[in-house]
Amino acid sequence: MRWHKRLLVAGVAGVLALTASACAGGQVRGAGGTPQPQASSGSPAGQTGGQANDSTFVYAPNSDVVTDWDPATSYSNEIVALANIYEGLTRYNSQTKQAEPRLATEWTSSDDGKEWTFKLRQGVKFHTGDPMDAEAAKQAIERTIGKKGGAAYIWDPVDRIEAVDASTLKFTLKYAAPLDLVTSSGYAAWIYDVDAVDADGKTTAGTGPYTIDSWKKGEENELTLKAFEDYWGGWKPEQYKKVTFRVTPEITTAWQLVQKGEVNFVRRLNPQLFEQAGMTQGVQTAQAQSFQNLLVLFNTAAGPTKDVKVRQALQLAIDYDGLAAALEGSGVKASGLVPQGLIGHVNGMEPKQDLPKAQQLLAEAGYGPDLEELELSLTYATGDEDQKLLVTLLSSTLKQLNVTLRAKPMSWSAQWDLGKKGGQDVFVMYWYPDYPDAYSWFLNVFKSADKPQFNLSYLKNAEIDAAIDKLPELTATDKLAAEQEYQRLQQKIIQEEAAVAVPYVQRYQRALSADVQGYQDNPAYPSVVFFYDLTRAG
Amino acid sequence: MLRHLARRLGQALLVVAGVVVLTFAVMRLVPGDPAVAFAGPKATPEQLAEARARFGLDDPLPVQLVNYARDLVTGDWGTSLRTRQPVRDDLYLAFPASLELVGAALLLAIAVGIPLGVLAARHNRRLPDFGVRLGSMLAVSVPVFWLALALQTVFASHLGWFPVAGEYDTSLDTTSPLTLWTNITVVDALITGNWPIFTSTLEHLVLPAVVVAAYPAGVIAQMTRAALIEESGQDHARLERALGFGETSILTKFALRPALSPVLSLIALVFAYAIVNGFLVEAVFNWPGLGRYAAESIRSLDTPGIAGVTLLVALVYVLANLVVDLLQGFVDPRTRSR
Repeated sequence: MRWHKRLLVAGVAGVLALTASACAGGQVRGAGGTPQPQASSGSPAGQTGGQANDSTFVYAPNSDVVTDWDPATSYSNEIVALANIYEGLTRYNSQTKQAEPRLATEWTSSDDGKEWTFKLRQGVKFHTGDPMDAEAAKQAIERTIGKKGGAAYIWDPVDRIEAVDASTLKFTLKYAAPLDLVTSSGYAAWIYDVDAVDADGKTTAGTGPYTIDSWKKGEENELTLKAFEDYWGGWKPEQYKKVTFRVTPEITTAWQLVQKGEVNFVRRLNPQLFEQAGMTQGVQTAQAQSFQNLLVLFNTAAGPTKDVKVRQALQLAIDYDGLAAALEGSGVKASGLVPQGLIGHVNGMEPKQDLPKAQQLLAEAGYGPDLEELELSLTYATGDEDQKLLVTLLSSTLKQLNVTLRAKPMSWSAQWDLGKKGGQDVFVMYWYPDYPDAYSWFLNVFKSADKPQFNLSYLKNAEIDAAIDKLPELTATDKLAAEQEYQRLQQKIIQEEAAVAVPYVQRYQRALSADVQGYQDNPAYPSVVFFYDLTRAG
Repeated sequence: MLRHLARRLGQALLVVAGVVVLTFAVMRLVPGDPAVAFAGPKATPEQLAEARARFGLDDPLPVQLVNYARDLVTGDWGTSLRTRQPVRDDLYLAFPASLELVGAALLLAIAVGIPLGVLAARHNRRLPDFGVRLGSMLAVSVPVFWLALALQTVFASHLGWFPVAGEYDTSLDTTSPLTLWTNITVVDALITGNWPIFTSTLEHLVLPAVVVAAYPAGVIAQMTRAALIEESGQDHARLERALGFGETSILTKFALRPALSPVLSLIALVFAYAIVNGFLVEAVFNWPGLGRYAAESIRSLDTPGIAGVTLLVALVYVLANLVVDLLQGFVDPRTRSR
C-alpha cells in the first residue's frame, strides 16, 4: 500500500472510530430510547387503504414538536399535535366568541354561575377502545388537577366534580367562573383515558381524530399521525388520513419546500416572503390575528415613571402607526388590552402618537428639551426583531424630548428575574391567555402582588383589584355586564393609571399549498391546524 | 514516540478540563434562571422552586462545579431543558449526522484542494495558477450562509437537480428501513447494502457538502501550492532536476510528502472550522446535526444542551488535533522530536 492510501484509510478509520466507539450497532432507525417507527410500517397500506402518501398533510414547524406527551402537563409546542389527538368538552370559536360543543353536546349553568352541568356525547371511544363517559372525564380532569403542572390552575374554581350518570358531568365551583371557556382551553382541558397515558409517545389516550403513527425525536420528520378509524365523527375519503410534522427551522427553507409542494403548511413567514407567497402559483396564504399582544409596562412603583405624567408622556411618544407600518402585516395596531375575538375586546381604543402633548406632560413632570434630561431603562427580549423595532423607534423619538432610553435586550429568564426585583423602568413582553378569556391579562398582569410574578408594572390599586376579582363571575353570569366592566377596567388601567401601552397584536402569516381546502386559523389554539377539518382538492 | 504521545495526551486533557470549567462558568454566570427555561415562560413560583431543586441550582457554585465535572466523567451530561432528554442521548442522535456532513466535505476538499494546489504549483505564475488562486480566494471569502442559500435557491429550488433540505427521503423509512450500526446514515446504508437510502443520502449531501467544503478546499489548495513551491526550491529538488526528473514527478514524487506535513496540521484546524461552519449550513439545509441542535438550544436558552454541544465540539477538536499530530509524526518524522 502506498503511503497516501494508508493515510486516507487511517483518516477514514479515525472518523469511524469516533462514533463507532459509542455505538451499540444493529438497531433499526428510531429504535432504542425512542419509539419504533417500523412497528407501523405494515399498517399504512393496510389500515387506511391505498396509497398512504396521497393524503398525507405535511406541517412544517420551526422547532421540535414534542417535549411533553402528558395531556395533563403539556404546556408547549406540542399543542399542534395534541389538539388533533385530544379533545376537550368544548372548543372555542373566535368568530362567535363562544364555546362550541365537542365532547359535550350541551351544557347549562346555574344563575349564580357556580354549578355547571355538561351532557356528554354518546358513543365516543378512546383510542384504547374504552368508552368515554362521565366517570372517565371526571378522572381525567381530576388527574390533571392533581398533577399541578402546566396550566392545571385553570381548574382552580372547581370544588367538586360528579359523574351523575354515564352522560352527565356536574361541576360545583368555589366561585363563579365561565367553565365553558375553561373546558375549551388548549392546555390542561383535554379529556383522556387516565390509565393509558404514555410519556414515551408510543400510544395515545385521547378521543380525537388522530393517533401517533411514529415519533422520532430529533429527526426531521419528527412526528407522524394517522387517522383513528373509530373516530366518532367518521371519515370521508377526501380528508387527510396521515399527518407529518417536518421540522424546518429556517424560514426560507420552509418556503422553498412549500413552493415545491413538499410541505402543505408553514406556520409563519416573514412579511417579504408572505408577499411573495401571495403571488406564487400553487401556494395560498392566510393571515389571522392572534391572541398575543405586546405589552409595554411602565414601573408604577419606583423611579421617574412613578409619576403618572411621565407614563402618559411615554404612551404618547410611541409611534403606533409607524410601528404597524414597519411590521408589514406581522402585527396590527391594538385597541385596548384585549385582542379581537375575545369577550372584553373594545373597539375605538386604538392609541395615537401625540408628541406635543407628550412634551407638555413631560414638562409638567419637570423633564424635557429645555429642562432636566430623563434617563429610563428598558428591557426586552433578545433576538425579537419586532420588539427591537419598537425600541429603536421609541428611543429615537424620545431623544427629541431629551429622554434617553437605555434599552437592554435580555433572555426571557434574565429579563423576568430582573423584573421580579423591580429593576427597570419599562418592561416589554408579550402576553397571551391559556384559555380564551381576557381575565388572564387582568389577573396575571395587573392585579396587585406582594411578590410580583407578571405584574411587572407593579400596579397596586385596591379598586382595580376588586373589579378584577369580579370578572369571572360576570363572564359566567352576565356577558353584557362583563363586556362593560372589561371596558371600564381597560380605561382605568391604560388611560388613568397609564400602567401599560399596548402597541400591537401579533398576526400570523401562513403559507399553504393551494390544494388544501377548509383551513381556518383559530387563535385560541395558537398555530394549531385542525387536520380533520381539511380536505384535499382534486 | 511514546513520550511524544503521552505529552500530547496530557496537553489534550488539560485543554478538556479547561473547557469544562469554562462551559460551567458560562452556564452559571449568564444572567437568568435556568429553571425558567425548564418550567416554562409562565411558571408559578412553586414550579420554579421544583425545577431549581431538581437541577441542584440551590447548591453553592463550587459544589455545582464539582457535581458537574463528576457527572460528566460518569457519562451524565445532564438533562436538556428543552427536549427533557439526557443531553448525551440528544448528541448521540445529532453528532453522527454532523460528522457525515463534515466528513464528506473534508474528503471533497482534500480531493479537490490538493490536486489544484499541485496544478497551481506546477504552473506557477501562469494561467492555471492564477485561476486556482482566484478560485480559492473566492471560496475562502464568500460567507457560507450566503453560499448555502444561493446554492439552495439555484440548484434545488429552481433547477430542481438536488433536494431542498433534509438528510434523505424519509418516506424510504417505510419501504426500506435502515439498520443502524454507526448512526452515520451514509455509512450504514453502504454496509447494509441499503441502496435506496444510500443514493438518497448522497443526493441530499451534495449541496451542503459543497458549501462546507468551499473554505477548506480553498485553504488546502493555497497551502499545498505554497508548500510545494517552497519544497521545489530546496536542494533536493535541484538534485532531482539534475538527475533528469520532470517537474511534475519532482512535485508529486518528492516534494509532496514533506509539503503535506503543514497541510495536514491545517486540516485539523479546518476540521474544527468546518464543524462550526457546518452549523450554519445545517440550519439552511435542515441537516439533523449538531448545528440544528445548538441553534435550538441557544434559542431556548437550554444551558445543558449548549454546554453539551460546546464540550463535544471541544473534544472533537482536541482529538482531531491529537490524531493529526500523531499522523504528522508518521508522515514527517522530523516533527516528532519537537
